[in-house]
Amino acid sequence: MKIQQTAAAGTMESSDIMVTISPSSGNNIEIELDSTVEKQFGDDIRRTISETLSELGITDAKVQAVDKGALDCAIKARVKAAAYRACGEESYQWGGAGK
Amino acid sequence: MEIAYASPLSGRRLALVTEFLRKQELDYDPGCTFSVLIFENDELVATGSLEKNILKCIAVSPDCQGEGLAAKVVSELVSQAIRQGQRRLFLFTKPHNRILFGGLGFYPVAATSHILLMENERDGVKKFVESVRQPDAVPAGAIVANCNPFTNGHRWLVETAAKACERLYVFVLSEEQPPFPAADRLRLVQEGTADLENVTVCPTGPYLISSATFPTYFIKEKDQAADFNAELDLTIFAECFAKPLGITKRFVGTEPFCQVTSRYNQQMKAILPAHGIEVAELTRFAQDGQAVSASRVRALLAEGKLEELRRLVPETTYRYLKEGFPNG
Repeated sequence: MKIQQTAAAGTMESSDIMVTISPSSGNNIEIELDSTVEKQFGDDIRRTISETLSELGITDAKVQAVDKGALDCAIKARVKAAAYRACGEESYQWGGAGK
Repeated sequence: MEIAYASPLSGRRLALVTEFLRKQELDYDPGCTFSVLIFENDELVATGSLEKNILKCIAVSPDCQGEGLAAKVVSELVSQAIRQGQRRLFLFTKPHNRILFGGLGFYPVAATSHILLMENERDGVKKFVESVRQPDAVPAGAIVANCNPFTNGHRWLVETAAKACERLYVFVLSEEQPPFPAADRLRLVQEGTADLENVTVCPTGPYLISSATFPTYFIKEKDQAADFNAELDLTIFAECFAKPLGITKRFVGTEPFCQVTSRYNQQMKAILPAHGIEVAELTRFAQDGQAVSASRVRALLAEGKLEELRRLVPETTYRYLKEGFPNG
């Protein structure tokens, strides 16, 4: 998938993460993370974001994420939703059981 | 808890928000196009509004602070702005809220004692200024101008200023305003000064005299808000532009026509010297005993008086007005 426009998903409320995805200026995934648990989980969150994007076949994107202690599955869900919106894609492949 | 939206606010809800903001010493900005209202037991406890890409008029009831309401309001506003296709977002607040909004994905651009301007991109202004910085030359001079369009008056100001410094930055306003597109205004200044070697023409981006840094400049209202905005704008110029670019002198033409600009020039002289920047106000260039102004050029263009207009603008601008500007 290719990022066409800026899109966001999530909120900045406690236990959530707000993910904004835009077309990138270079050919890479650029992540700007602001997290209340940066010290403990900053690298894990960045890895989850990149892996989720790469599962969707997205290789260049600018990601701004404001994390308020979201669980891994919430991070994945927000990244996927924002990515689908940013790609203008409406048939979501969530990848859970019963797909 | 209940959330309500309005685009824009009107009637009873407008009165409610206005009163709520007033209690916290904030004014509702009638330019806002979208608002979020959060109610608890039918009572308004938090609100925030959006004007294009700018978040403002954000307030939380003092009794409900620390409950995450600001996060809710800002999340709603950011989502709405992005749905509307905005990417670079700004947020206006009071300086003491720096930490609160700092935790919500906004980073400070600059602050005065009254206003704090934040943006949603970390180091956004720093990266922007770095992108226009020339490797040579300290000390430099600067002009910030609209050039709508570039006239002999602008040309004279640039030429005179360029003689007085080693490097001259000419910042052309990036804010879109009729009738000439910002990209065209920038190009006409570049073409009209191409022969001056030490002149660098660049855009202001959203950072100088834009609807984010200086909303009242475009509304042309003369009140205290305009003064506060001018102070913020000049602080951004001094701290974010002049300091990294080595600018020690700002050149400006005298302003005989527009009161807002004239007041802005006065404030420039009051504020910039404290930041080590000298302000040189040069008497507006005149032809036939009349100050050359872009507004006069626009008026002549509207009347179709191209030959009369030709005497007031460089050849490059004339060609554009004659050929390039479609509905001239």
